[in-house]
Amino acid sequence: MQVYLPIAELSMNLFFLVGIGGAVGFLSGLFGVGGGFLLTPLLIFSGVPSSVAVASVTGQVVAASTSGALSYYRRGQIDLHMALYLVLSGVLGAFGGVATFQVLRAAGQLDLVISLGFLILLGFVGTLMLIEAARAIMKRRAGIVVREKLPNQHNWFHGLPWRVRFKKSRLYISVIPVLALGVAIGFVGSLLGIGGGFILVPALVYILRMPGNMVIGTSLLQVVAMMAATTILHAVSSQSVDILLAFCLMVGGTVGAQFGASAGKYLRGEQLRALLAILVLAVAIRFGISLVLTPGDVYSTAVIGASGVI
Amino acid sequence: MRRLLLALALVLAASPASAERLVTQVSQDEVSITSSFAGQTLTLFGSIEPEVGAEQRFVEGPYHVIITVTGPLQNRVARRKTNQFGIWLNTSQAEFERFPSFYQVLSDAPLSNITDPITLAEKEIPLDSQARYTAKAGWWDATVFGGELTRLMQQKGMFKLNENGVVFRSDTFYFAQVALPSDAPPGPYLAHTYLIKNGQVIAEKSDGFSVRKIGFERFLGQSARTQPLLYGLVCVALALFTGWLGGVVFKR
Repeated sequence: MQVYLPIAELSMNLFFLVGIGGAVGFLSGLFGVGGGFLLTPLLIFSGVPSSVAVASVTGQVVAASTSGALSYYRRGQIDLHMALYLVLSGVLGAFGGVATFQVLRAAGQLDLVISLGFLILLGFVGTLMLIEAARAIMKRRAGIVVREKLPNQHNWFHGLPWRVRFKKSRLYISVIPVLALGVAIGFVGSLLGIGGGFILVPALVYILRMPGNMVIGTSLLQVVAMMAATTILHAVSSQSVDILLAFCLMVGGTVGAQFGASAGKYLRGEQLRALLAILVLAVAIRFGISLVLTPGDVYSTAVIGASGVI
Repeated sequence: MRRLLLALALVLAASPASAERLVTQVSQDEVSITSSFAGQTLTLFGSIEPEVGAEQRFVEGPYHVIITVTGPLQNRVARRKTNQFGIWLNTSQAEFERFPSFYQVLSDAPLSNITDPITLAEKEIPLDSQARYTAKAGWWDATVFGGELTRLMQQKGMFKLNENGVVFRSDTFYFAQVALPSDAPPGPYLAHTYLIKNGQVIAEKSDGFSVRKIGFERFLGQSARTQPLLYGLVCVALALFTGWLGGVVFKR
């Protein structure tokens, strides 16, 4: 059944859209990530203009992260104080990201930067995750009991000025790394149409040394708030948010995430992380190949100016 | 009164001194894009008749008909990728102002059999002429990028030359079918009909029709453009609600 997407101005199969939303939702439920890093590329590869794909996926990420954020909030596993700093700086970063998005789109380099961004970011994160997961698996095979590293050592940047006490996370650290992290995630997330959860979670654990029970909830809240702001920014500045496209993805994603979450119970943590790492690397490699291989057509065309119709 | 007569006389003198006129019709004035829009075929038909008030009561062929269908105009850019440091990236481009988003040429015989290339170029009929007269670049870029742009538009199915698209049912009655694809850009369309006899354009006629989003699609498209802030807020509210509902339904 074809459904006409009013902003993308093309017809796509409804079941295909709900299907990829569901498949990505399943994976996002399984791994506890937003899924934007999979959905945006999938849409681009299936013919949706990259500007519409990026802007609409931000809406889907909001939906995908909301139910998770709510349940963590009810369990009291969100550090609201930390989230406030992250969100405020994240929105600032998102302003920069959306402005850059506009400039790049006008200059015809948006696709290049999206491809490069995904390649570098996913390649880097995927490799790190794979190494870490492989080590954990091998240790388990060898029978070594892995002890969680206690996140108590301080780094030099924890001692920078403007120290703030985050009661729930039991941290007394400078806000500078927190704000820098927020700006960076906001910028990258709005530029590439990803929530950034898969960067934020490791960053909160390894850089800010946040306790494990607070990390996921805080990261989810940050993703919801920042992606909501980004959706609005994209809607205002580039008018490329396709609400129908986003809704189809949301419906699939929300349902898929539930099944993914229950399937996740049958896999061990390090196996999950290894699988996620392989998935992340696969997307990175796909982007890498498209950059390096001789394109089928060196010429391309695009409409310039908003909406285009004169 | 005398001035009016003079003006009338001038107009009459300026119009081609032919004995034929075209009577044309498009099967639909308006094509509606609904949520299940999968393209639509329009029929353009017409007949060749003696000029009003002419002595002659019949017309004599053989006639040829060329119809061009032009979609809404857009500013377009064509870009070329080159390999820089092992990576393929867009390095040069040419802009085309008010370039048609949709362009089809239909005729009853190969264009070269109907009339000479100069007449075709003058009337801006061939597919590649669209790029030539809209280019903002210099001659060389306009030629190179224009040719490639025309090819790309043909690949997208937006530009098409159909040399047996016009079918004559009798010596003077013809019809043509234009297939609008599912991603036909919404906006005003113009069907321009040329009547050709012995290689000369002896009559022309324009008919307009429009492709419009209707109902919900139209509402969404318009609100995204006129109320972007509200539209964004509604998107976010919808996302939050869907996420919350999912959590409630599945008791996560």
